[in-house]
Amino acid sequence: MNESLKRSLRLGLIFGIVVIFFMLIGFTNVAANMIGDMLGNIEQTSVNPELPVLNLVLFTGLMGLFTGVSATKKDGQDSWVQVLISGLIAGLSASIIIVGFILIVGSLHTQGVDFRTYLPNLGGNEIQYLMFYTTPLAAAVRFILIMVASSILGSLIVKSFSSGSTVNRALKSLQQKTTKKLDVQTLKSALGNKFILMGALVAVAVLMYFLPFVWGSYWNYIMGTVAIYILLGLGLNIIVGYSGQLVLGYVAFFAIGAYTFALLTAPEPHAIEMNLWLAMLIAVLVSTLAGFLIGLPILNLRGDYLAIVTLGFGEIVRILIRSDLLTSITNGPKGVTNVGQPFLRGQLFNDTNYMHLLMLLVLAGLFVAKRLKDSRTGRAWISIREDQTVAQATGVNTFRYKILALMLGAAFAGLSGAIFASRNQFTGPEDFTLMVSVNVLCVVIVGGMGSLPGVVLGAFVLKGLPELLRELSDYRLLVFGALLVVMMIVRPNGLWPVSRPKFRKKPLEATPDEPVEVEA
Amino acid sequence: MTRTAISVKNVTKQFGGLTAVDEVNLEISEHSISSIIGPNGAGKTTLFNCVTGFYSPEEGEIQFFDQPVQGLPTHKICNLGIARTYQNIRLFKEMTAIENILVGQHARMDSTWIESILHNPRYVKEEQESIDKAFELLEFVGLSDLADTPAFNLPYGAQRRLELARALASDPVVLMLDEPTAGMNPQETAEMMAFIKELRDSKNITIILIEHDMRVVMGVSEKIAVLDYGRKIAEGDPAAIQSNQRVIEAYLGPSLDGILNRKKRKKQNDA
Repeated sequence: MNESLKRSLRLGLIFGIVVIFFMLIGFTNVAANMIGDMLGNIEQTSVNPELPVLNLVLFTGLMGLFTGVSATKKDGQDSWVQVLISGLIAGLSASIIIVGFILIVGSLHTQGVDFRTYLPNLGGNEIQYLMFYTTPLAAAVRFILIMVASSILGSLIVKSFSSGSTVNRALKSLQQKTTKKLDVQTLKSALGNKFILMGALVAVAVLMYFLPFVWGSYWNYIMGTVAIYILLGLGLNIIVGYSGQLVLGYVAFFAIGAYTFALLTAPEPHAIEMNLWLAMLIAVLVSTLAGFLIGLPILNLRGDYLAIVTLGFGEIVRILIRSDLLTSITNGPKGVTNVGQPFLRGQLFNDTNYMHLLMLLVLAGLFVAKRLKDSRTGRAWISIREDQTVAQATGVNTFRYKILALMLGAAFAGLSGAIFASRNQFTGPEDFTLMVSVNVLCVVIVGGMGSLPGVVLGAFVLKGLPELLRELSDYRLLVFGALLVVMMIVRPNGLWPVSRPKFRKKPLEATPDEPVEVEA
Repeated sequence: MTRTAISVKNVTKQFGGLTAVDEVNLEISEHSISSIIGPNGAGKTTLFNCVTGFYSPEEGEIQFFDQPVQGLPTHKICNLGIARTYQNIRLFKEMTAIENILVGQHARMDSTWIESILHNPRYVKEEQESIDKAFELLEFVGLSDLADTPAFNLPYGAQRRLELARALASDPVVLMLDEPTAGMNPQETAEMMAFIKELRDSKNITIILIEHDMRVVMGVSEKIAVLDYGRKIAEGDPAAIQSNQRVIEAYLGPSLDGILNRKKRKKQNDA
């Protein structure tokens, strides 16, 4: 027996075990449900809980395909016959294990053994489904057929795409043709053309304007949350990403913004009911002031000490809000209800309006953060992050710039807090737990410290992806955690690491005619 | 009549029980090149740190053109016109070469964060001017091809020169170089010596060096101060220092005569 066949056998056995593992934890049924959602072929009722058999076939086929793909050598050295044999062997060895499992479980099930005592995900319905609603033997035959067929298919796919094959050559020539037509240079010069750039921007703007109407209130809610996290991330990015101060109590500023706005606009407990835009401005100012005041005593701390102290600050704000001491002011653990909502042409803001407002604010926030980053201020921040002592000896007033970073970051948090409270029409102390700080920090780190596209991407990944994974129900956080681990291994500097700006000398012909002013 | 750029009067700096700098007096005149030398642990860098505000001395006074500077925060001292480099290179590693120089110019710029968001004409002009100046400085130290390279990617010699350019970016009156030729080969060292001289002549600044390489020290300095165990043991021009008995003893240990004399004295004491 030669080496590649041994390899196919081994991989087949491994995949067989993986398939059984999926069956044991009930993932096969979850996947079948997901496939059903995609195909729209589930007509499940409480009377008839049966899932379409097709979905199980598809899922098993997919697993077989993986088996075949991984069991085949990618270098294209093997002949077609050899490839066929490896696919066959991999499929067979995987199905041997599966068949064993199905025969044992299936026959025990038919004799009335209840597995749920030990394996909560292996109930009667699930086992019936895994047997295609037939007998164990019939199910075993089907599994063999599906696995072997799909595994061979996988092997053939690998062979046809491997180097030297016809398909591969055809693909390469196609790639060359398309890249010649649409290479980066043409794209850049096209974007350099003002009209095309304007056209593209208008198209994006129109798309962004109409999307919230189209995709419904559920997606408006999700994307609104993502937008709020982008704003929070932009703010924390100034503090952590630019100036390098590890502040873990960022949620405090979020809470202060939300509560300021809520208390100023809600009928209870103060009945101030101020103009909303004014209240929003005051919320931003109050959080900025909070940033200044908290920054004064703590910003001389460095590293871990700063992290711990600010962590405490975040918790203190939440506990103060819900304390008996301030109940008369903040309404305590009950929270503030009926927070004000803005009007637009005599109508209360609906979810689409909020989405538009958030989009505008995110764009404005990105603009401000971008301009700050590439300026004297931004460079001073980054130099503080790199080496605080040297930054100060180079003339940067480190304390002032750290306070400034904290204040601007707090302003972003205050703004998103105000909108958060207004959109939910409610704000309570439990909205502002430590987890919010941790999540925002994750947004910044996953995206790439100091990187603006990174913040946007990070917010989508951390707040949007869990919603997409909702189908996986109980396994959502497991899968999500695994994705994060994989991401951090593959891209340790974040999804979109920051790139340093390029500078250009002033072109010679653009020398100004007027005399250069000499600064005193 | 040349003025005194930096005068150090009776400065003492202690770390716990260790007196790192012990009642040192030093006068550095304008437009001069001076060196501070001494064996390892003599307190040279500590003296530098006292002048640039990293440490505040327990006793004594440090004046910059008759203005007391001890106890001022380092950024204010930098604003006054004292710039320095470091023994172990301390660049802003993640920033590009030109960005390092732009940070160096921080003290000479005055646009605020609001202006940087608005991009008003004054801001745009100042930004472009400082970028142009940064390119000039890069060219001056021979790094114009590496402007957009992150500092950590630069070769060792280039890092040293970039650090020098960053210090020059703040238009200093006094430039303090802490072992500028450390780790350089003889040719690079010679280049650096020529560069230091040219710097003094073309930019008209006062330069203070800490250096171990005696060829550099004797080659460029007009005045040398020698420290040993925190005390100043000698001061003078290169020729005087080379023949100074205490300096030779500090570096090489006492001469044979000295040892014999000591033994003789010990015998007499015992007897």
